[in-house]
Amino acid sequence: MGLGVLASRATRLSGRGNPSRSLFYVRTIVTKPELQSPEASSAAAAPEPTPDLPPRTPLGGARVHFPNPDDAIEVFVDGYPVKIPKGMTVLQACEVAGVDIPRFCYHNRLSIAGNCRMCLVEVEKSPKPVASCAMPALPGMKIKTDTPIAKKAREGVMEFLLMNHPLDCPICDQGGECDLQDQSMAFGSDRGRFTEVKRSVVDKNLGPLVKTVMTRCIQCTRCVRFATEIAGVQDLGMLGRGSGEEIGTYVEKLMTSELSGNVIDICPVGALTSKPFAFKARNWELKGTETIDVTDAVGSNIRIDSRGPEVMRILPRLNEDINEEWISDKTRFFYDGLKRQRLNDPMIRGADGRFKVVSWRDALAVVAEVLHQAKAKEVVGVAGKLSDAESMMALKDFLNRMGTNNVWCEGNGPNPNADLRSGYIMNTGISGLEKADTFLLVGTQPRVEAAMVNARIRKTVRATNAKVGYIGPPTDFNYDHQHLGTGPETLLQIAEGRHPFCSEISNAKNPAIIVGAGVFEREDKDAIFAAVDTIVKKYGNVVRPDWNGFNVLLLNAAQAAALDLGLVPESSESIETAKFVYLMGADDINLDKIPNDAFVVYQGHHGDRSVYRANVILPASAFSEKEGTYENTEGCPQQTLPAVPTVGDARDDWKIIRALSEVAGVRLPYDTVSGIRSRIRTVAPNLLSLEEREQATFAASLKPEVKQKISSTPFKAAVENFYMTDPITRASKIMAQCSALLAKK
Amino acid sequence: MATTLVKGTVQAIKEKGLRGFLGMLKEEGILNCIFDGKLLQTKLHTIGARLVGVDKFGNKYYENLEDTQYGRHRWVEYADKARYNASQVPPEWHGWLHYITDHTGDELLMLKPKRYGVEHKENLSGEGDEYIYHSKGHALNPGQKDWTRYQSWQPTKAQ
Amino acid sequence: MFGRLAATRLPEIRQIFRQAPPQTSRSFSTALNYHIDTPDNNSELPWEFSNANKDKVKEILSHYPSNYKQSAVIPLLDLAQQQHGGWLPVSAMNAVAKVIGVAPIRVYEVATFYSMFNRQPVGKYHLLVCGTTPCMIRGSREIEDALLKHLGVKRNEVTKDGLFSVGEMECMGCCVNAPMITVADYSNGSEGYTYNYFEDVTPKRVVEIVEALRKGEKPPHGTQNPNRIRCGPEGGNTTLHGEPKPPPCRDLDAC
Repeated sequence: MGLGVLASRATRLSGRGNPSRSLFYVRTIVTKPELQSPEASSAAAAPEPTPDLPPRTPLGGARVHFPNPDDAIEVFVDGYPVKIPKGMTVLQACEVAGVDIPRFCYHNRLSIAGNCRMCLVEVEKSPKPVASCAMPALPGMKIKTDTPIAKKAREGVMEFLLMNHPLDCPICDQGGECDLQDQSMAFGSDRGRFTEVKRSVVDKNLGPLVKTVMTRCIQCTRCVRFATEIAGVQDLGMLGRGSGEEIGTYVEKLMTSELSGNVIDICPVGALTSKPFAFKARNWELKGTETIDVTDAVGSNIRIDSRGPEVMRILPRLNEDINEEWISDKTRFFYDGLKRQRLNDPMIRGADGRFKVVSWRDALAVVAEVLHQAKAKEVVGVAGKLSDAESMMALKDFLNRMGTNNVWCEGNGPNPNADLRSGYIMNTGISGLEKADTFLLVGTQPRVEAAMVNARIRKTVRATNAKVGYIGPPTDFNYDHQHLGTGPETLLQIAEGRHPFCSEISNAKNPAIIVGAGVFEREDKDAIFAAVDTIVKKYGNVVRPDWNGFNVLLLNAAQAAALDLGLVPESSESIETAKFVYLMGADDINLDKIPNDAFVVYQGHHGDRSVYRANVILPASAFSEKEGTYENTEGCPQQTLPAVPTVGDARDDWKIIRALSEVAGVRLPYDTVSGIRSRIRTVAPNLLSLEEREQATFAASLKPEVKQKISSTPFKAAVENFYMTDPITRASKIMAQCSALLAKK
Repeated sequence: MATTLVKGTVQAIKEKGLRGFLGMLKEEGILNCIFDGKLLQTKLHTIGARLVGVDKFGNKYYENLEDTQYGRHRWVEYADKARYNASQVPPEWHGWLHYITDHTGDELLMLKPKRYGVEHKENLSGEGDEYIYHSKGHALNPGQKDWTRYQSWQPTKAQ
Repeated sequence: MFGRLAATRLPEIRQIFRQAPPQTSRSFSTALNYHIDTPDNNSELPWEFSNANKDKVKEILSHYPSNYKQSAVIPLLDLAQQQHGGWLPVSAMNAVAKVIGVAPIRVYEVATFYSMFNRQPVGKYHLLVCGTTPCMIRGSREIEDALLKHLGVKRNEVTKDGLFSVGEMECMGCCVNAPMITVADYSNGSEGYTYNYFEDVTPKRVVEIVEALRKGEKPPHGTQNPNRIRCGPEGGNTTLHGEPKPPPCRDLDAC
């Protein structure tokens, strides 16, 4: 939307009368090899577009999907015929035809309000311009988007919108990425006729994340609809009427939603902006790096905006299959943790218990020496929850060469089951959850464990009235649910068919069972999974050839890749007898279990918890500073890209291990990322096919018999504080503020 | 013109005495004219022009509608004769001086809101390093010399 | 353009800057759009429908399908306002939200939208002067001034004895008998609640009405001009003396 589209339309219109000229434009912009070779380009030039109807391409993101081919209707947008399914609005038809309609209140993921009137278009035989966002397209409709009437209507609307809008673009954080600014460039006048005094509105306090300047508000109600429909917190509303209308909460109330940061993105003006980012940078100074988020196992697609060596903000990136276009507040605002408590130099703890800064050479020499002194059985390696697949591969290879196999990833529990891939990933897929009509949540609170998955479940529940049953400690849900029980005995009741919820599962078309990864830490984990398997087998509709409703919702970004790579310890008690512990960013393991005489090496990027126990600190780079592969909970591998240079003397995790292996005399056979990836190819090839969800081949039914007894201990909350789950978020000031103000006591 | 100049000079010497006349010359910047051709030109231009107003900094605004080319008929004589630049003109006179409006600065001053608004300051950025904005972390930014792009972990609490 | 603007509007603009406009209590048609906690108006205070009104609530809810209970928000707010002496504290809105099963903000939205819902205390007799064009032309400003002067209050202010308050309302459809005032009588709770129009009033007559109300009398509502019958013209009808003729209609049988 905005100037670029309008400009491109202008160039297209100017080239309309002259086909060869318009082709010239295309060839300069598109750099496809077939267009550069002369034969191919002449072939491409052969079917010349008729000068009257230049070919139109649907605007980015506009997909035409015909649920029922008979329902297709044909409308004409500026004389160009398009086929669209019945029930689409005029605005969507225009998008399919490649015409961008200016809009403020319309948002394709929210309900239709039709109150900004910016999207007025002319429809033949209609006496007045119609609001295209709220008008269903009818067969044979002739829509005109660039006639004088449509233009005049938009100019009139724009003048009214600008009437009460303050002229504070120079001090507004939205300046440069503001819909109103962009569209007033196209439809605004250079002067106003309004000579009265502009209205002003009292700013509201929405908490530590969202800054409000309500005078700038144009009453599009996108934020109200977002809060009500997507976030599920009915706090915002439209108060008053006429020119006194304003957005607010009426009573003093903070917006306590884990998705509240998204109102910043959907606000078309600068009324809702980011509080931590306020007055920090202009958006055109920033360099965007498209990467992924590692604070939870969802792997939301994000864009890290950086200026020079600093991460300035994090924005979501569109990915329909994972996070749509939302991200959680933790993902959006934890970035200031990347600048605090960083480890920047290798350090060794001296005899007096104090850390001394040393060179890499000395640090690695000390580590290698101690490592050689320890017996192979007493060496243990733990990968942290933010580790990428490459470094975990290197860690496992290195320790295997040292003769031990006691390597695991924190969060996977003492005795992980990595044999059946279907047993630890979300087989349905996050977007697949939309097809489910009954959910059974076992020991998981998706709202704090994976906010984007929760948003998906809420979307499903809102759209189809899907039933949700929940087993676990009492917790907050933002959709209707039945609390079936707190402990595993409820699960047994369902498995044995003694529970009223059984009929819901058996009657469901696509039931989905989601087991939380918090269960991994339990003693009776195998028995619980066996009970879930019983449910799966009992109700044949849970796992079918065309539907796999058995899901595990993981907690951490590293978990799935660690299990794919086989980071499974040889014995579950190895850490209690260890003499040498290698912590690769592991801050959430129980440090009391490590014996006092053990030598602990901490390799990581934040001075969080484990550094206080460490003997040697090796500084590593954070996810924003390195290239790494992360597999999300649905088994979809994605890559991070370095957005900013790393700090101090820190190095990538796998490079440290590679260097250490050389010092220790067991050189790992790879020197580059591509080298380490070809090693991964031999272990878990699916990690290299990015953005592809490889289905788990073997069903859970192949599992061996479980003799374990289920215990009656109730399920625990796996995430205690949504805002502080890993070393980076614990270092963040904003997250500390959030957990003080917003986290439910 | 020359005769009026001589006559005026003689009269001024008669009135103030030679000492007073020289003081006046200094104050008016006549002595600077010897070295500054632009100032001399302004002084010659000013003879016979109408003084429209004087702003709060002492800059004088002249207009001559008779024997001056239209479009060059308004000009300013800066109060500071040694160091002057266009940013010394306050905003209320800017419009008049640049033919944006026919209202003089004194008239437009009445439009200035009393409750807010800052005093006009000339732009001093060519006048030395202290007036230049230096970004954080710059050696010449005294307030933010200690800025670092990240804060490192300090091993203070030894276990 | 600026020059022309300055020339034509200089005095006005100067006027604006000279004296900041006095903060009117009600510059728009609605009062403040946010809630400020006061001792008599905060969400901690308990509020419930009275027992008599609970039956009315049931009756009101029975008008709507059970899955569209939120449609009852306006009648319920009205009932709550009558019960609470003519205004709605935030706890009353919360109680209504609970009855119809929606988030409180959805009720606040409705209550702030309609200017008939008072979110600040009003007098037992809330006098509403119509301020729309026909009434204004016929002298509603004078009527309001007379009321305010007589009661010694400002607009939307309650008299010391808590009996009267004066507000402004937009057109109430009595233009033929302009000017008019409305008296919302909250003195007897929701049972004896009345909302009466007094039409064809004069500055003298409104003061008489106020005094009569003060004494507890019920002055006759409707037109206050003794020469008029309801909205008929003064001195009897001038048209429509006989039986009205039916509208001209083409002969359908001929078709």
